[in-house]
Parts: sequence; structure tokens; C-alpha cells
Amino acid sequence: MKKPVLQAGLLTAALLMALPGVVLYLASYFWGAWLLLGALCMLTAERLLTRGPAEVGVQARALLAKAAMPVEGICLALLIGAAIMAVTGHDPISSYGALFYGGLVKNWDVSVLNATPLIFTALAVAVAFHGGLFNIGAEGQYYVGVIVATWLGLMLRLPPILSLPLIFLAGALAGALANVIPAWLKVRTGAHEVVTTMMFAYAVATLSPIFIRAHGGDPSMTDHPGATDTILQQSQLPVFKSVLPLANYRLHFGILIAIVLALLVRFLLSRTNLGFKIRATGFNPTAARMQGISVAGITMASLLISGAIAALSGVTQVVGLDHRMYQNLSAGYGWNGISVALLARNNPVAIIFASLLWGTLDAGGQYMARTVQTPNAIIEIIKGVILFLMLAEYLWTWLSARLRRQRVAA
Amino acid sequence: MRRRRTLYFSLHGQSGDIVLSHLVTPDESDRSSPVLETRGITKVFARNIANKDISIQLRRGEIVAILGENGAGKTTLMNILFGLYRPSGGEIFLDGRSVVFDSPRDAIRNGLGMVHQHFMLVPTLTVTQNIILGAEPVRFGHIRYREAREKVAELAGRYHFGVDPDARVEDLSVGLQQRVEILKALYRNARILILDEPTGVLTGIEVDELFTVLKRLASQGTSIIVITHKLEEVKRLSDRVYILRRGVMAGERRTSDVQAHELASLMVGREVVLRGRRAGSEASPSPILAAHELEVRSSRGFMALRGCSFAVGPGEILGLAGVEGNGQKELADAVVGLASIEKGTLVFKGQDISRWGVKKRIMAGMGTVPQDRRGAGLVLPFSIEENLLIGASDLPPFNRRGFLDFSAVRRNGEKLMESFDIRAPGAAASASTLSGGNQQKVILAREFSRAPSFLLVCQPTRGLDVGATEYIYGRLRDLRDAGAAVLLISMELEEIFDLSDRIAVLHEGRVVFEKPASQTTQAEVGEYMIRGLAETRG
Repeated sequence: MKKPVLQAGLLTAALLMALPGVVLYLASYFWGAWLLLGALCMLTAERLLTRGPAEVGVQARALLAKAAMPVEGICLALLIGAAIMAVTGHDPISSYGALFYGGLVKNWDVSVLNATPLIFTALAVAVAFHGGLFNIGAEGQYYVGVIVATWLGLMLRLPPILSLPLIFLAGALAGALANVIPAWLKVRTGAHEVVTTMMFAYAVATLSPIFIRAHGGDPSMTDHPGATDTILQQSQLPVFKSVLPLANYRLHFGILIAIVLALLVRFLLSRTNLGFKIRATGFNPTAARMQGISVAGITMASLLISGAIAALSGVTQVVGLDHRMYQNLSAGYGWNGISVALLARNNPVAIIFASLLWGTLDAGGQYMARTVQTPNAIIEIIKGVILFLMLAEYLWTWLSARLRRQRVAA
Repeated sequence: MRRRRTLYFSLHGQSGDIVLSHLVTPDESDRSSPVLETRGITKVFARNIANKDISIQLRRGEIVAILGENGAGKTTLMNILFGLYRPSGGEIFLDGRSVVFDSPRDAIRNGLGMVHQHFMLVPTLTVTQNIILGAEPVRFGHIRYREAREKVAELAGRYHFGVDPDARVEDLSVGLQQRVEILKALYRNARILILDEPTGVLTGIEVDELFTVLKRLASQGTSIIVITHKLEEVKRLSDRVYILRRGVMAGERRTSDVQAHELASLMVGREVVLRGRRAGSEASPSPILAAHELEVRSSRGFMALRGCSFAVGPGEILGLAGVEGNGQKELADAVVGLASIEKGTLVFKGQDISRWGVKKRIMAGMGTVPQDRRGAGLVLPFSIEENLLIGASDLPPFNRRGFLDFSAVRRNGEKLMESFDIRAPGAAASASTLSGGNQQKVILAREFSRAPSFLLVCQPTRGLDVGATEYIYGRLRDLRDAGAAVLLISMELEEIFDLSDRIAVLHEGRVVFEKPASQTTQAEVGEYMIRGLAETRG
């Protein structure tokens, strides 16, 4: 195969620009966007050279068509939000100005922090969905990850280079273990995973105060009795500020781990034998079984992988941001992950963007409530409408078909 | 809405034998002028022409068949007639007047009734409730149920339908459910009935009954269009037949003047050969697959196979005939490895495989073409190449230490598409977009590509047109000639006789009859299928 030097060079350059671009942009160095743009241009140039303009055009149009529905849905939801604001006596223009200024510029770091755990939980839900399973208990596996990370973070006295990978590994294992019982029940008795994983989620959430009691007791924490001690320094994830001095001091490398994981999940599902079997089983278990695929084994595998990824969400949150476990912090990342996975239609890469959107709406909403006093609840309404529109896709198909018919008739 | 119904009842009050409607021409005696006519109907979809310049005529009391392979444009034409599609060109005439239907509702209002291949009935409701659903006779906000029930009973009685108006639809046989659909159309004053592949879901006896009912309807003035791809039905049922091929009219014939093979050639566009078997095939001394006294429970708990024994030798097709529900499903599951064998043994090439799993059997050289190709054979959202990969994804060249080599997958897909004549835009096309024949070819390609020494084939041509059927029969014969053993399970006697070297009959979980195909007749096999062994002896 001849792969000319020029194309290879373009690809390398694109990669070399994209990587720092992403890191800079996430750390609120907005000029990183120029690097991303440059990378995009080089990638397009490379595609044009290897594939020719016709195929690139087709691919671009397919991508646009894919993105059109969610984008239109989001715009429509924002319009509905504006109408509600107008009716309830808030100025939509200044409110949205505050929302987007707050979410995308001023408090972009908060948006990124919000998005990080969501990417993990949404990926967890998506993997299970691809296998035809509904891991509704991602919240429980999140708690498992939090508990394991806190415990190891308090105990392990190792250099960070060993400590952190160990914590991530242990958290993932524990999350997978948390799903062993639901998966086993599903395979053996057919007990539905929605029920079993959800029950498990509540059990873990209810038992977690015992763990907090056992590891709390810091005299200086009398104001916050519902929290464990702070985990050791060497178990904390590095922050962007350590390399980029202007970044927010709380912003940690978890988002990069999340993005890498999303790419890994995409690779797993589309390029590996296991992923292929998961998708085959998810779409049609009967056909998979007829072809000798062990449906029980695949069900087990996808639920365990899902549990592991969901637990990583909790691990990242503890070692990256919280550095301890709170009792009353009902984050709801597990439940929100389901929404994000639906919004992204279980596409791992789309999950990154959907999570950032969710994070932006949350961060911007708080900023909006603080600055122009438009209530935050409107953001929840907008999120609800977006999800509703995604789920009502068939309604959309029906409408467009009808419009087309009328146009033909006219 | 209510006015229309009042009209309906008054009309039925005075007319004894004709289903009238407000559009019936005054000149009732003129039987030669068409009730329904299309002139130059053309329908263009985004990329292809589904119908090109189609003109048909339907007269009062006439049964017209529209014959064509899958994808010939039959269903498009019917959807145009029924107001689901708008034609790109051409006109529809009803009693000589040009009409445009905007929706099925319009078509129904003008006296058209459609019986779809898949019934649109609510299983938990009664016959009457199903029939009036959407056209309830309402007065002061109450459904006049008793009146409706009488009407249904009267209609059912008039045409000898044998349908109890109070029976729940879920308790009815498929044949009776279909008659409920026909009643539904008649209740709405249909004088033109369109039936889409009406016999696809029926058993032999039900088909006979349906034909009797349709002929009776026609003799009393209803005009009927039957869409089908089965030649034999055209001969038995229709007065005239239009043959469609790739969207154009390939011919029109009086059914009484035409031979089946002429119809087949018109439909496919060339000469067709279906039969062809080896003479005098005897049971082989060293079978590839042998079952000894198999006992297998059905999913509902009763013993469905009760001592079933048979053997298939190399280079032979054993056809297993039988009425549906006599243990075919359980036998297929037991051979594939999905059902557990409670007693007896299954021996493959001398090894007892009764306890083997599905995958081990496939790896040993057993293949399956399942009865439900969309539900059990294919993963519909997957592409053709992915469907060809299922079950082989553990093996080289596709699998490289857990990672899939997609260029190998693509090469395999393209190679098999070519050698099995799978017609699709490319190997990446989704299996759900393929026609039934091409879907079946994908399954055949996958099974054949593993060079099986035994192949289980269940109802391989159900719902397929003559061209695809011929192709699949040819491939199965090639496999047999290459020395493989083929077990064919089919409810269709025609198919069993077209394909088998030896024929056996499954009755109530046992093989009650077995003979070389050349030494038996359809009548003899049919007798065993219905009566079983003991009764036939006694």
C-alpha cells in the first residue's frame, strides 16, 4: 500500500495539534480552539487527498445528517425555555446570555468538572445498552467506586505512580464485582437487571454512612460530620494547574481519563471480537445463540464491564475532586448518566459532547441564577425537553414524512 | 361520520345479496365495464422506479391475481390503490370516474377494503369489537354494540364464514382471524377487496377454505384482487392474472388459458426448473446424523418429541414433512443444541453429541438455516458482512488476538455476496434493507462458507418468490452433491417433494413414515401427516 509522505505528515501534524488543543481548551485556555481548528483542516486535507472530494462530501453530509436531529432538538428546547422565561417574567436574552457566558466561558472549568463523572456513567450505561441490558444501577456502582477509592486513598502509602493506578484498578474490579450478583441472577433465573441493579444501588447508598463513620473523626471536621477524612496527598489526581498556571485550581486530569476511556469503549464495541458479540447479542440474542455465541457469557461480560466503568466514575470523583467521601452528597451521576447515554444514543464519542452539554447547562444555570436571578429550575425543564425530544424521535420522523408528502402534493 | 353509517344500514336493510355503497353505478347490469381501473400508474421513489406505466382493470365479481417476484412492485401498486402512496403519474378510475385517494380512509370510504399479510387485530377483543373498531356505530355517545353484533352475525352468515361474533380473536385460528379481517372490510361496505399474500400464513386446509369464501364473495358481486407470488394459487383462484416484473407489466393472461410454467417464465423472465432429485435413494448404512428415540420437552412442558428416530446419510436430502406443531420446532432445537435431550441419543459422524453445546456442534461441521430468518437467522441492524461474521468472529482470519480484522471481514463479505448472488448496494448495507430472498441467501452463504457436513434447513423458501426459491433449491442440491447430509423440515408438501431424496413424516413427536421420494406420492404422505401411524394401519 502506498501511503505518501505528505498524507502521513498531515495526519501526524493533525494529531500533534489536536492533543494540546484539547488539553488547553479544557483548561480554559480558549486559544486552544485554533489548534483544534488547525487539526481539523489538516485532517480534512488528508482525507481529501486519500479519499477524494466526492467521498469526503458524502461522509460530511452523513455526519451532518446524524448531528442534525440532536442539534435541532436542543435549539427547540432552548426556544421552549425562552418562552417559559418570557411567560414567567424573566428576560430570555439576558438569561441565555448569562447561561452561556457562565457555562462556556466564565465557569467553563465547572462545566468540565460536571461533565467528567457523567462521561463515565453514561459510557457504563451505553455498554450495557449495546448488550441489550439496562444497567439502571450505575448510581450504586458509582458509590462502590467512591468507597473503594476513599478507603485505598486513606490506606495506601505508596508513591503516586503506583497508588493511583492501583486505586483505579481496584475501583473498577469492585464495580464489576458489584454487578456479579445481578448478572448471575439474570443469567440463571432471568431476574431483570433493572430491578436487581437498582436495589443494589439503594443498598449501597444506605450502607455508605457506616463506612463514613469508620473513616471519619477528623477533629477539625466537626462542622462536617458526614464526611470521611481527606485522602492522602499521593492518592490525589494531578490538576491542570500543575502544568498550566492559569487553569482553575480544582480542575483535575479526570476529564482526560474520561475521554480516553470513551475512545477505548468505542474501540471495544466496534473493533474487537467481544464488542462484536456484545452488539450481536444486544440486537438479537436468538440469532446470536443460534450461531454458538454464549449469550449468558456475553450478558455477564457486558454487565461487569458496565459496572467497572460506572465505578471508575466514583473513583475519579474522589481522587480528582472531592478527596473524601461525603454522606449527603447525592450526586445522581448514575441516574444522569442514563439521560446522557440516551441523548448520545449510546455512541461513546457523542457521550463526551453530550456530557459537556449537560455540564455546561448545570454550571451556566447556577451562574444565571446568581447573576440575573432567573431560576435554575428552567434549566431542568430545558434538559427534560431535550430528552423528551430525543425519545420522541418517531414523532419527528412522522412529522417530516408528512411535510414531505404535503410538499409533493402541493 | 354518522350520516355515512345511517346510509349503510338502510342500504343493507333493503338489499339481500349485494354489498352496496353510495358509489355504485346506476347501471348494475353492465358487468363488462370495469369497477376499478388504473391507467399508466407510475411510481418513482428516490432512486428507483417501483411501478412503470401499470394499467389494470377489475370488473364486478371478478377475481384478479397480481403475480410477481418479491420486489416486482406488487405491494407498491396496492399501496397506491389504497391511498398510502400517491402515484408519480397515471390515474385511478372508480366506476369510470377519476379518483385521487389521500389516505386509506378515503379508499375505504370509496368501497375498497384491504386485508394485509399481517393482521391488524387486537387479540384480547372479540370479533365484533375488532370489526367495529374505528367505525363504531355510535348514538348519543354510546356504542350500539348489539346492533353491530347483529350486523356482523348477518354478514358472517350470508357468506358462510363460520365466525362467532363473540369469540375472542386470540382464541381463533389464523384462518379464522383472516376471515375476521375480510369481515372488517365488508362491514365497511367494501365492494373491492385487496388481499396481500393471503395464504402466506395459512395451512393447506385453511387455504382451501379461504378460496371457497373468496369465490363465494365474488359470485355475489365483490371484486377481488389477490397479490401473490404462488403460481398454484393463481391457477386455482383467479379469473385473470397480471404479471409484474421489476415494476413493469410483463403480461396479462386468462387463467384458464395459461400454463403454470408460462406464468413462471413471465414472472422471472426466463425458463424455470424447480424439480430434480436423485432416483432410488435408500437409507445410508453409515449416516452423518442419526437420532435414536429422542425425547424432548417443549417450552410449555409437555413431551413434544416422543421417541423420534431418523438418519440422514452423506449426499442425501431427507425431507421431514408434517403438520405444524408435531414436534418440528423441538426437533430443530435439539439438533441445533438449544433444547436439552431428555432421553435418546443424537449421533453425528459416530460421536454422541446429545450433550454438546451449540458452538461445539457448529465447529464439528453442523449448520442451520432456521425457520425464522429475521428473528433467528439474522441480526437485522447489522450489515451483510457483519451477519456473515457472526459465529466466525472467534476464528482466523477475522480474529487476531481478540481484535477483528475488518479488511478480512469486508473481503469475506464481498466474496460471498458475489458467489451467492446477494443483491445489495454493498457488503456494508444493512440486512434489514434486503428482500426476503437476499436475506435467506446471506444465511445460506454464512452456513455454506463453513463447509458443513450436515445442514438443517427449516422452511427455507417460506415467503420467497420463484426465482429465489429456485436458487436456494439449487444451492441445497449442490451441497448434497458435494457429499453433505441435509435435513429439510418443512410444512409445505410441495417443497418436500421438490427437494427430498427420501421423505419421512413427523406426527405427534414420532417419525411414522419413511420412503424414498420416488416411491411415494403426495397423497400417501399427506395421509400419514394427518392420521399418523396407528390410525392409518387400523
